[in-house]
Amino acid sequence: MIFRIPKKDGEWVNRDKKISFSFEGETFSAFEGDTITSALWAAGQKVLGRSFKYHRPRGVLSLANHDVNVLVTDGIDTNIRADVVEVTDGMVLTAVNTSGGVKKDKNSYIDSISPLLPVGFYYKAFHTPRRFFPFWEKVIRKAAGLGVVNFNYPRILKRKQHAHCDVLIIGAGPTGLTAAYTASQAGLEVIIVDENSQAGGSLTYNRGGDTTTTVKHLNDLLAKVTSQPNITLKTASYAAGYYPDHLIPIVSHEGMIKVRAKTVIIASGAFEQPPVFRYNDLPGVMLGSAAQRLIYRYGVKPFNNGVVVTANDYGYRVALDLMDAGTKVVAVVDMRKGINGGRDAIDLGMRGVKIYAGHCVYEALASSDKSSVRGAVICAYDDKNSVALTQNKFTLECDGIAMSAGWAPAAALLYQAGTGMLFDSGVEQFVPSRLPAGMFAAGKVNGIYEFEQRINDGVRAANQALRYLGFGAPQNVIEKHNGLSPSHPYPMVPHEKGKNFVDFDEDIQIKDFVNAAKEGFDNIELMKRFTTVGMGPSQGKHSNMNAIRILANIRGLPVEKVGTTTSRPFFHPTPIGHLGGRGFHSHRLTSLHDWHQEHGAVFTDIGAWKRAAYYPAAGQSRDEAVQDEAMAVRKAAGIIDGSSFGKIEIHGPDAAVFLERFFTGVYHNQKVGTYRHVMLLDESGVIVDDGIASRLADDLFYISVGTSNAAAVYREMQRYQQMWQLNIGLVNVTGAFGTINIAGPAAREILSTLTDLDLSYDTFPVGHVREGQVAGVDVRLIRVAFVSDFAYEMHLPMAKVPHVWNALMAAGAKHGLRPFGSDTQRLLRLEMGHAMPGVDTDGLTNPFEVGADASIKMNKPYFIGQRSLEILAKRPLRKQLVPFVLAENFKGEMPMDCNLVIDGREILGRVTSVAYSRFIDRCIGFAYVSPAKKEVGSEFQIRTDSGSLVTARVVITPFFKN
Amino acid sequence: MQSTDMSNIAQTSPVAHAQTGSKAKWDVVNGMKIAIEFSGSEIEKSKKKILGVTDTSCLSRYGVKGPQASQWLADRGVAIPSNPNSWTLCNQTSLVLRLGSSEFLIEDQLTGVTCNQLSKDTVRTAGVYKVPRADAAFVLSGSEVSNLLSELCSLDLREKSLLAHDVIMTQVAGVSAVLWRQMLNGEPVYRIICDGTYGPYMWDVLLEIAIELGGGAVGLACYQN
Amino acid sequence: MKLLTCPMNGTRPLSEFIFGGEYRDAPDQKTCTDKAWAAYVHNRSGAPGDKKEWWYHSPSGTWFIAERNTLTDKVSRTYLLGTQHANSSANPVLEEGK
Repeated sequence: MIFRIPKKDGEWVNRDKKISFSFEGETFSAFEGDTITSALWAAGQKVLGRSFKYHRPRGVLSLANHDVNVLVTDGIDTNIRADVVEVTDGMVLTAVNTSGGVKKDKNSYIDSISPLLPVGFYYKAFHTPRRFFPFWEKVIRKAAGLGVVNFNYPRILKRKQHAHCDVLIIGAGPTGLTAAYTASQAGLEVIIVDENSQAGGSLTYNRGGDTTTTVKHLNDLLAKVTSQPNITLKTASYAAGYYPDHLIPIVSHEGMIKVRAKTVIIASGAFEQPPVFRYNDLPGVMLGSAAQRLIYRYGVKPFNNGVVVTANDYGYRVALDLMDAGTKVVAVVDMRKGINGGRDAIDLGMRGVKIYAGHCVYEALASSDKSSVRGAVICAYDDKNSVALTQNKFTLECDGIAMSAGWAPAAALLYQAGTGMLFDSGVEQFVPSRLPAGMFAAGKVNGIYEFEQRINDGVRAANQALRYLGFGAPQNVIEKHNGLSPSHPYPMVPHEKGKNFVDFDEDIQIKDFVNAAKEGFDNIELMKRFTTVGMGPSQGKHSNMNAIRILANIRGLPVEKVGTTTSRPFFHPTPIGHLGGRGFHSHRLTSLHDWHQEHGAVFTDIGAWKRAAYYPAAGQSRDEAVQDEAMAVRKAAGIIDGSSFGKIEIHGPDAAVFLERFFTGVYHNQKVGTYRHVMLLDESGVIVDDGIASRLADDLFYISVGTSNAAAVYREMQRYQQMWQLNIGLVNVTGAFGTINIAGPAAREILSTLTDLDLSYDTFPVGHVREGQVAGVDVRLIRVAFVSDFAYEMHLPMAKVPHVWNALMAAGAKHGLRPFGSDTQRLLRLEMGHAMPGVDTDGLTNPFEVGADASIKMNKPYFIGQRSLEILAKRPLRKQLVPFVLAENFKGEMPMDCNLVIDGREILGRVTSVAYSRFIDRCIGFAYVSPAKKEVGSEFQIRTDSGSLVTARVVITPFFKN
Repeated sequence: MQSTDMSNIAQTSPVAHAQTGSKAKWDVVNGMKIAIEFSGSEIEKSKKKILGVTDTSCLSRYGVKGPQASQWLADRGVAIPSNPNSWTLCNQTSLVLRLGSSEFLIEDQLTGVTCNQLSKDTVRTAGVYKVPRADAAFVLSGSEVSNLLSELCSLDLREKSLLAHDVIMTQVAGVSAVLWRQMLNGEPVYRIICDGTYGPYMWDVLLEIAIELGGGAVGLACYQN
Repeated sequence: MKLLTCPMNGTRPLSEFIFGGEYRDAPDQKTCTDKAWAAYVHNRSGAPGDKKEWWYHSPSGTWFIAERNTLTDKVSRTYLLGTQHANSSANPVLEEGK
């Protein structure tokens, strides 16, 4: 740790705890609290990563996750942001995106051919001829990308929680901490978050050489904040995005907390922006604030002999901090003319630091192996025209350059919330001008830079939030920035040889913007996409502002006319595991679920339910099991758990009126003890669902409908009842009642052993309903003929279903009774010739097209969809659902659901259901055909998946005779 | 036909499927087989203080709705909560929850009899519609309940926000549920009920988080005096 | 996630609601022309502005009407159909911005 300096107050490392880790095969030691980068830098490691495109050596730029120079892999985890991720004992790290290691990356030759690879090169070079593109695509994909994703990465469960507060503050710097304290004084519940591992913002690194004062400021503020029980301070937690009505997900290593705040104060500060000069990306060239972070957070000297290049007064503070760390400051190079830097400049002068005003770093000089800085070429700079005047250039020897040129507001959340931003030329920065209700901005993000003013601005924002929440609070006025701008309007140094980087993620230089503009991509959003500026992992944090300035310069427009690109979540990449959270998958089980499991059922998801699909014997295929179960129903008896069916009671004197308006049929004259078909249409006449309505009393109908649409049907009933205001009561008993259907020639005899009800086919025919007891349980018994003409459907309290089911199974054992599942039910109803809404209909099917004319009673005053049917009835049919069979002993490729019905080159329709029936020994199905083909005996062609044509013939239903 | 004695009909808690793998002790309470002990009363008592999850589906419930429901209940001596979405105590042993304005859910606590009495009244009355209940019902106890709920529900359900007699109809772990706070044997607890068919799912979700937070399954015996 | 205020149950996240489409008065189906009916059934005005919409609070089964500006996405009031009084103001009006 040769660059480690003596301990200073406030540092984040714990020097009592030493840690060992490896990087690129070499062992390093670190202190607890070091980030991976700070530990490596302390050890004198300068080449920490390779750039994305040109594989240039890279070191520290921001040390704040505003760049991705240093991405590393640790085991199966990759793209770890080494600048901010704490190193832990035993880490085995490698840099991403290298071939043969970070020091001798074989792909670094790409840097020397970079003139051959301008932006847009890939778009142009590899798309013609098109047949070669798949080859090039492979090559490009191999070259692109950073860390390699390990597909064995485990699913790591992270908690996703909700939290609520009065004031949420993003950023725990001096502004945010002050705002938190101020808001807490009114008794409000405050949450304040900061992405750094410790609170304090710039107070943790920007000291201007004065540790005592800075640390006192910080400790005083933190003491005030932590003394308030109603303030929750969360560090190492970033605000990932803004969602409507002040919902802000806060992401940390542990998971995500979605904070719903009544008000939000954005005190997120600003990103330092690099000046742009040749080789500004060499390891050792870093932002001034990065140098300060190394010094005061981690006790690491950034370099031994440094040049500070600045375009604002901040650089003078950086120079003082470097000297505080023992760095020899060779010179301060100020891109601005005249005497600047105030007292700090005088201080530096008195300490013998040479200041070159009106000068720039023309280029950084690389050591022979290009791994570090050996000097800086300085020359005069015309900062009105942004031109380097190289006549009298000279070289200063140094091993590092600290850069300060200005700031860009960390305004991502403000943009996402719809804040109007204006460019304030006093600070050369976009600042909020029109904030959404309940949202406030303070501090640097608001264009406020002086320390005292930031404190005041925190108070001002908190008071504004208080007034918004209805509390009395003073109105504070904050003075506008006074003096020279903290940001330079155009800190660019053109160089004929280029390599003056704007976006370090994507290796984008000034000339790339010029070329993009020449190609016509001279709008900021187009330029972003053509150059890919800001599209790398750091999402423009260190590059967007410079890109905007360059585009403004190219087009001769003021910056505010160029505008900004759209900001979207997430502020930092958020792991999918965080987004997924625990991954809730709610599902409903019937009271027979245990029984089905014990009897080997294969389950299927239908709507929210897990249903038994079929019960295969050992080694049996689905198809065999389904055919066996269906045969049992046809030859003996089968039993199915239909508890997932939708079940709705309609009570009240107007119940029949409601049904007649809601469904297509007639119900006022329906006899108690019978059921009738119900069909629900939407207003356009499209079939929504169907089912049956059993009349249990004059003022009580019991509706049962299919599983998947049940919730939607009930919801529509509630909606129409709210409009119609009839004298009825709707009760959804879907979950309260279970359903058992016993079907087949032996069903009646089995059931008769368990009930006193008269089950004879004559006195209790299909279409009738009885109430009585089965196995001692009150049931509603319905003679429904959906899967068989010999079927009895029982509806009873869900918890009592297992009792009745077991009694039936016991009674049916000697009759060959066996359970059947929902897959078998689908085959059985097909054999019966029943079309199913949602299977044999789609979102455009009207009743005429499925031949349901008999269910439509047009001579009623009103039903939903009636008026549309009147119109449809006048028009010729466009398609017709028909039952069909394939040839006897058909052995060809089996058609599938959704295969097309083809006539020459014309599509006539599609298959909606098709299956082989062992009982009928025929392939049967439903298909839509043109009306010309609807007559019994017509033949049509189905095109199978492989393209072969299969002939089908229209028949009548049911497909078999009992 | 065989005659069956109704009292022998085994009903099982809708939650039971999720507990089949556990070493629970079972008992029949109010005619429903339910887990009364999981890991022994001492362990459960300590878990209960941190985060206990108890299946209370066996408590008797009675549902009724309709424009005359409020009057019908009042005529039968049932206390009516004055505000929609609130609950009140009836005869010290039954809870009366007002779901919205005109639907009511009555839950007898372990010694209550209100539901039993009401269910004997089988005369159909205009404007009064019985709502058959088959709920999965849970008691959540202990200091970490808010922590658990913060993961399952997006509402602020902390004690300072969820008032003592509030009834909340919301989504818990993506499932429609009714939620409130009450005292049980002198201890403050949270209650959740949802459709019984979601019961095993809800139990799994509640228990997984409860265990992570240092709590666990608590049998009904912990609340039976 | 957006918040919406159910007139019966208060302010809840949007995930508790199901959108029920625009609330529109149907023409008299006995007297209107086929064309007018088809226009009612199939045509929607996509022009931004104040719309009445059906919303359903799922956990409680409550249908209600929300008046929402589709340009600003601000809900000005919500109420049960037939009770036209505003039960809520879902979004507090801006007291002061900067």
